[in-house]
Amino acid sequence: MTVTKAWMAGCVLLAGLVVLALSVGTQGFGWGDGGSLLLLRSPRVLAALAAGLALGIGGAAQQGVFRNPLADPGLTGVFGGALFGIAVLLGLFPEAAWQRAWFIPAAAFGGALGTSALLTLIGSGGSSARLLLTGLGLNAFTAAGTLVIASRSGESRELLTNGAYGDWLGMATLELTWLPVVLCLLAALLLLPLARSLDLLSFGEDAARGFGCEVGRTRRKAVLLTALAAAAATCLVGQVAFIGLLAPHLARALVGPRHAYVLPLSALLGAGLLLGADTIGRGLWPQAPLSAAAVTAILGAPLFIWIARGRHE
Amino acid sequence: MSDALIHALGLGVEITGRRIIDGVSLSAARGQTVAIVGPNGAGKTTLLRALAGLIPSEGELDVGGYDPRIIDAATCAQTRAYCAQKPVSAWDYRVRDLGDIIGDPVGYADWLAKLQLGEFAGRRLSELSGGEQKGAHLAMAFAALAEPFGGALLLDEPAASLDLGRQEAVTQAIFAFAQAGGACVVATHDLSFAKRCDGVVVLLEGRLVAAGEPASTLTPEIISGVWGASASSVR
Repeated sequence: MTVTKAWMAGCVLLAGLVVLALSVGTQGFGWGDGGSLLLLRSPRVLAALAAGLALGIGGAAQQGVFRNPLADPGLTGVFGGALFGIAVLLGLFPEAAWQRAWFIPAAAFGGALGTSALLTLIGSGGSSARLLLTGLGLNAFTAAGTLVIASRSGESRELLTNGAYGDWLGMATLELTWLPVVLCLLAALLLLPLARSLDLLSFGEDAARGFGCEVGRTRRKAVLLTALAAAAATCLVGQVAFIGLLAPHLARALVGPRHAYVLPLSALLGAGLLLGADTIGRGLWPQAPLSAAAVTAILGAPLFIWIARGRHE
Repeated sequence: MSDALIHALGLGVEITGRRIIDGVSLSAARGQTVAIVGPNGAGKTTLLRALAGLIPSEGELDVGGYDPRIIDAATCAQTRAYCAQKPVSAWDYRVRDLGDIIGDPVGYADWLAKLQLGEFAGRRLSELSGGEQKGAHLAMAFAALAEPFGGALLLDEPAASLDLGRQEAVTQAIFAFAQAGGACVVATHDLSFAKRCDGVVVLLEGRLVAAGEPASTLTPEIISGVWGASASSVR
């Protein structure tokens, strides 16, 4: 498929999905009187789009910088770190946490950056196994930390548990989400210019430097921006695995591995996948909606295994 | 020395306390190809990486008009290109993608054709043999320079694992690059290739054994001395 066709198909599908997502929900099908339901649902749709976009491009960038197709902020503990950061803030300062719009995103960013730094220090430069095992360890540690804090803090307990299950989209209001949405878009926009450097990095450090890529600077930028994308997305949805893994794989299957195409298409696919998952969860069971993360895992896992099989045959 | 495109004086490299390269001087003028030869473990690859500015080293260094250890990577890459012995790629690009990545698809296609790989442009790297993949990466190194004139090319075993026809194509491409006003330093085990170069540097355990024209450096005495000496040191 040519790049232009893939783009056009993707944009049309996404536009259709947005209309559908705005039309379904607990209060039935349609846009309500004078678009009242439309107004009610649009923050959630916007949040899902922005978070999915950040997850998709963040996954692509992390795979590029670690030169590893199995890297994904969900598996490598960066989301875990983001949620842990939020948990620490809510646990230590339950009232102050909500006083400024940027407190919670900043806490998430701090946590995500912490796990990213540990991952880069310990997990990179070795095998896939080392990267993923380091991520597994970080994930387990941050999940346990989040759980401990949630169990000790009465008022934040439900909130944090919902976050761990990727079930925050339901709370989306413009007041809560505008900053993370902006941060998602910002991270994505700043990641796009790294495409050429990520391509060069795929030939190894020596070759990349030989061809004019400042390897250290590229790494630091990519790690920082991936952490920002993951943190902002976590603020919107909670923890969602698989989108950062699935979107870049689909993108590569559609347009090949060049990052100039993979990064933007992963963003588009990520937005579509997360919004699609959320819409399915709300549309099929309006009375008891499934979280976007649950639908992503239920549909994404088999799809991912199918892709993985196809690639090796 | 002033017209040398690649010039190193008293170059030394130490890796984790071990001295891998010790006081090596080397020079390749515009139009010249210089071969680095020596037994396994002599330090050929390390010397080449040091010349490319990819690892820290001491001593004087001027490659393509800059000291590659100091100048920023992008500027350096305009006049200095490097191709490793075993190039790798994390993703399965198409052969023609490599030209887009270095930003000169036309020049890349040109060098690809010179290396007899023109018909592979549409294939994926994974569909190529090891030698053909190496050829694609070599074409990328050739084309990465702004132009051959004034460019410094550092190649590690460019013709290893290639069949005879393609070996000769690579050799011709190297000499054509030098003739266009560039300079090449090539690490190689192929002494018959080294004999066709303008200069040869014989390396043993990180030190210069001989340097100069092939006729004066690749003498039977030096060859048996160097490769024999390494054989006895192994024992």
